Amino acid sequence: MKLSRLFLMLGLLAILTGCASSTPRMADVRAFAAESPKLGAYHELTERYRNTYQREQPFLSPEADAREHELDARRQQACDDFVKLQYGLQAYMQTLGKLAGDSRYDLEDQVKNVGSGIKAWPDSDLDTRHVNAFAGLTRLIARGVTGPLQENAVNDILRDGQQPVQDVLDAMRTLLRLYDKTSDNEQKIVIGMLESEIPFLDPKRDRLLLALARSQQQEKQAEYRLIGLRTTLARKNLDAIEQQHRALAAQIPSKP
Amino acid sequence: MANPTQQAQIEALADHLSANADALHQRLMRAIRKPSADGALPGISQGVAQALFENEVALRQRANGLYLEAGVLAASGLGPQQQQLLDLTERAKEKIEKIDRLKDLVDLAAELLTLGAAVAAGKPDQLLKPLEKLKQHIEAL
Repeated sequence: MKLSRLFLMLGLLAILTGCASSTPRMADVRAFAAESPKLGAYHELTERYRNTYQREQPFLSPEADAREHELDARRQQACDDFVKLQYGLQAYMQTLGKLAGDSRYDLEDQVKNVGSGIKAWPDSDLDTRHVNAFAGLTRLIARGVTGPLQENAVNDILRDGQQPVQDVLDAMRTLLRLYDKTSDNEQKIVIGMLESEIPFLDPKRDRLLLALARSQQQEKQAEYRLIGLRTTLARKNLDAIEQQHRALAAQIPSKP
Repeated sequence: MANPTQQAQIEALADHLSANADALHQRLMRAIRKPSADGALPGISQGVAQALFENEVALRQRANGLYLEAGVLAASGLGPQQQQLLDLTERAKEKIEKIDRLKDLVDLAAELLTLGAAVAAGKPDQLLKPLEKLKQHIEAL
């Protein structure tokens, strides 16, 4: 009884290890690739930066408006480049994830084809036992070939990606900081205008205007607070991606 | 990165301008909140307040212009890195295709086996279909 249970456990173990078609390292690489949507926060903030003029415009004097209009033209042009920064990184991460993909490594479907291909011919002398033995062998061979190929390919890409990924992430982080500082000035122009004009209103005659101005002031304060939080989050996302990439690169076995 | 020190210098200059604008704003608000001689708020005329605020806005706009310049510097010169990432992506795609071809090979083995089984079962009339499939597969490789 005990012996049979032992065999059962051994059998289960064999099945489980057989099913685990990928190494933990490839799973880590896939987890890293799955982070690529987090670059979206950078994209969102770049687009917000692009629209700075639109938000400031109602609060500007004609002279300030003319200056901002000129600045806006330069900003639009620069933002086309700023947005592009993430595209290369995104493509890199996603393709790396595909390369480390479970299905890349897993030839189970093919192995099943081998099995069912034979089973389709019941009159042949091959019985199920042979089929399973053959399928098992194919599985081993397939894994022996594609496994190391995949690991090597992933390591090569990671090794060469180290520096460019670092540089692009650094630039993105710098831009996030500059967006943040620009947003600070925008906030102070918008809210500052309300703040310095409200005291000149007559509480009786301008009651409606006063109410609208104060409510706008509150709304704007909430908006800028939210954007500040988003910027912090976007920066943390970039930090997390950098850390994961660095950890993966550090685990690369040295080239033989 | 084209010139990190130049970028940092421009950013620092913009920080100074922003800080000056902050100081100006504080003084403006203090003047507005101070009661005038007759005891009514604010302590300065609206025209003066607007002129002062206009200066503050101009300072902030100048600072934002410099932040933009610093940003352009930070993003410039990254062409090679961007190209490198695209090249790497291309290489990864090639590897993926290579591994997919290997999977094809295993598929091929399965078809060969089917063929062998058909022969073993002694049904030559049913050989045609697997043979046709095999031919297609080899051509695709």
